[in-house]
Amino acid sequence: MTSIPEKIQHWIGKPVISLASVMTVEQGLWLNYCVAVEDGNPLYWKPAGEVDGMAPIAPPAMLPSWMIDHEWSPDPEHQPLRTLELHFKLKDELGLPFGVVTAVELEFHEPVRAGDRLRAEQVLLDVSDEYQTRMGPGRRWSIAVHYYHQNEALAGVQTLHFVSYRKDGAP
Amino acid sequence: MSNEQLEPRAGARSVDSPCPAAGDKLPERPIHITRKMIIMGATSSRDWQPIHHDGEWARERAGLPDIIMNNYTQAGWLSQYLTSWSGPRARIARIKFSMRSPLCPGDYAVLRGEVASVIDAEAVLWVELSLAIQVGERVATTASAKIALPCGQQSSPWQLSGAAWRP
Repeated sequence: MTSIPEKIQHWIGKPVISLASVMTVEQGLWLNYCVAVEDGNPLYWKPAGEVDGMAPIAPPAMLPSWMIDHEWSPDPEHQPLRTLELHFKLKDELGLPFGVVTAVELEFHEPVRAGDRLRAEQVLLDVSDEYQTRMGPGRRWSIAVHYYHQNEALAGVQTLHFVSYRKDGAP
Repeated sequence: MSNEQLEPRAGARSVDSPCPAAGDKLPERPIHITRKMIIMGATSSRDWQPIHHDGEWARERAGLPDIIMNNYTQAGWLSQYLTSWSGPRARIARIKFSMRSPLCPGDYAVLRGEVASVIDAEAVLWVELSLAIQVGERVATTASAKIALPCGQQSSPWQLSGAAWRP
């Protein structure tokens, strides 16, 4: 059993990756998602001003999507951010090239509306010692992504649980 | 929020419905999963991983039977299932799910749910539910959720903030 490297231990409990806003939330974008999952909830569909006292909200389950960078940019120097950079850093540091999500938890706070620009922080919650997975030597880890509004109000928290591994025989 | 403007859809709960109780079952929701549905879900959630749109890549590089539904789309279906039952004035606090086997084009899936517990907090009812997405006998995804339901015409979970909102 291999314990947790010191560098990784220092990451636990801290926001290792902070991401600035990549896009402005728009109703037209979230309605495509509503169509995909056949969700007719009027809170998502009503035009601005038609829901008395409450502007339409983006589907809460779509929260993480607002922090996924564009795949292409007019700036040829722009390198799109990897969606969950901390997960990839862990895979690189620990020599575990394959990873799967085993569970996802979404906790919702201040609703997201058109015009919002979110930012995010990725926090490493825990990492297991190395053990023998069904696929080869591996580890479990959990990452919490905290999503914040432009006024710093918490929009929600996404917690992802992973198993990452290298195939038997690989160094 | 005006109740008149947020009429629940057919089959959904309303403020006049009896309080849910532990053991209540939600109506089943069948879904015929298509290639278009999986790709639309992935692209609209801005997920460009090839296992969600490229069948050849999914089969030959990832060893999957076909493209698979991504986790954002599954979260969307679970959310849709919850509020179709609860009505639009309910507010989802938390969804947790584990993907045990993939959802692929051609699968006939069924969403199922059951009320696990209900807590009356005066302003709202906090309801915990257990959920599943099944394909035949195969359980593809297990989930749990917590939602806040309004208690009466004047109550709205959307008015809760700060310490009163406890997801």
